[in-house]
Amino acid sequence: MTRGGPSVGGKAGWATIGRRRHIWRFGGALKEEMEVAERLRLGTVPGPGMPPAFEELFRREYPRVVAIAHRVVADVAEAEDVAQDVFVSFYRKHPADAHYAAPWLCAAAAHTALNVLRSRERRGKRDAVEALRRDAQAPDPAQAAETAETRSEVRAVLARLPERSAALLALRYSGLSYEEIAAALGLRQSSIGTLLRRAEDAFRKEVTR
Amino acid sequence: MSDIEDMLSVPDPKVDTDRALARLRARVKAERITPVTRMAAPPRRAAVSGWLKGLSAAATVALVATLLTVSGLAETILTIFEPKQIVAVPITSSDLSGASSFDAYGALTWTEQPKPYDVPDVRTAARESGMTVLVPGNLPAGVGAPRYGVMPKTTATFTFSAEKARQAAAAQKRTPPPMPANMDGSKLFITGGPAVVAFYDDGTTPTGASGASPFTGMPKLIVAQGKPPVVQSDGVTVDQLQSYLLQQPGISPQLAAQIRAIKDPSSTLPVPIPVDMATSKKVTVQGVEGICVGDSTGLGSAVIWQKDGIVYGVAGTLTEQQVLAVANSLH
Repeated sequence: MTRGGPSVGGKAGWATIGRRRHIWRFGGALKEEMEVAERLRLGTVPGPGMPPAFEELFRREYPRVVAIAHRVVADVAEAEDVAQDVFVSFYRKHPADAHYAAPWLCAAAAHTALNVLRSRERRGKRDAVEALRRDAQAPDPAQAAETAETRSEVRAVLARLPERSAALLALRYSGLSYEEIAAALGLRQSSIGTLLRRAEDAFRKEVTR
Repeated sequence: MSDIEDMLSVPDPKVDTDRALARLRARVKAERITPVTRMAAPPRRAAVSGWLKGLSAAATVALVATLLTVSGLAETILTIFEPKQIVAVPITSSDLSGASSFDAYGALTWTEQPKPYDVPDVRTAARESGMTVLVPGNLPAGVGAPRYGVMPKTTATFTFSAEKARQAAAAQKRTPPPMPANMDGSKLFITGGPAVVAFYDDGTTPTGASGASPFTGMPKLIVAQGKPPVVQSDGVTVDQLQSYLLQQPGISPQLAAQIRAIKDPSSTLPVPIPVDMATSKKVTVQGVEGICVGDSTGLGSAVIWQKDGIVYGVAGTLTEQQVLAVANSLH
């Protein structure tokens, strides 16, 4: 009894503890996995290989990159596609903590969005208006169509402007300061005012043409 | 609200950054995109196509290799490289496989940083660069108005460092050749520029599709001119340089032989031609001998020549004939 009991009990005890440990471990892992899955869904866990500094940069700059692209293409879905491409380009070639990260992203957002705009224009006016209709929220379909048409015409003008002028307008009217524009486009801050005025004049001239 | 602001207005986009990040992560995983692991080139250089980047890396190697063949010993500061003519040096990617960049042998300190900036017109470009800026007499159809950029005179000092060379080699798990004691700490003085570059756009970009990198397209036409680089030494002997650098891993014997074959290396600017991507031939341009480079896809061409102490280059997404015609019309 004294030999078997404790020995059996001991074995049973270890087995139980072992199982419990296993169960505890499994349960813990499952819980942890579910938490990770949830956080992944929410995008709060660094993915394999994605540096935390890049994620931080993404969180900080993504809204602005989308806003710049949206100003150009006037379609949220397309603007988000542009932003994805811009961040992938950056991710491939530049370290997340590069001092030029923010201006680079802004410039790339404007240029990539302008490329999208030009390729849309090449496909023809109907396509361009159609692309904008889903973004032109209005209770009345006729009004939505009209908004889409106006936006499309304005974008066609933007697409015809020289690259730098169009980028200047896109960045300025997305709220960037002269200093930020100068850094993004590699220009002198002192010349931004003049260049911007010229771009605006060219834009107005194209609109009234 | 200004009229333009009004016209360009769009409703504020509602973005879900978390979802967008998850999307990006999925794409990075699916396409196996790897992040850059070392300091990449600054944005200005990143804007240059890979083709040109390769060219500039090759130019650095060729320049270093050229220094090897320069004869003469400098007791004090002496000009060891001042090009008066140019020559094409065909290279392949294997010629440079594993070749270390210049900074693996020491430290480059800019005394005057290369800071290019835009200028509004050709007159300002001429005034700020102190050069007579040549402009094309005729342009191919579809080429728009130019934008001018000026790169002021740039000077840099390169200091050889035995310790740095050892570390760079160790990082590549290679055994470096020993650096001669008096080379360690000796200096090269490099002067480049000023230069003026005119970019001609046609208002479109070659890659219009959604998702294309914003910088894949080169301008339609680039016309550049500048003072060629000059290298001076404060006392490194050429024999030492030669025996040291030729032992470096990564520079192929073929490349070294080609560089050695340059008749007058101290006054010849080697223009590396990546043979797997481009072809080159001698042409007469502006009455002197130049090199015409065409990329093997037929999408772009360039012509480079030197005249009256200035190096000129015309490049673009144009045919060889068009680029040559622009080059010959410069006045």
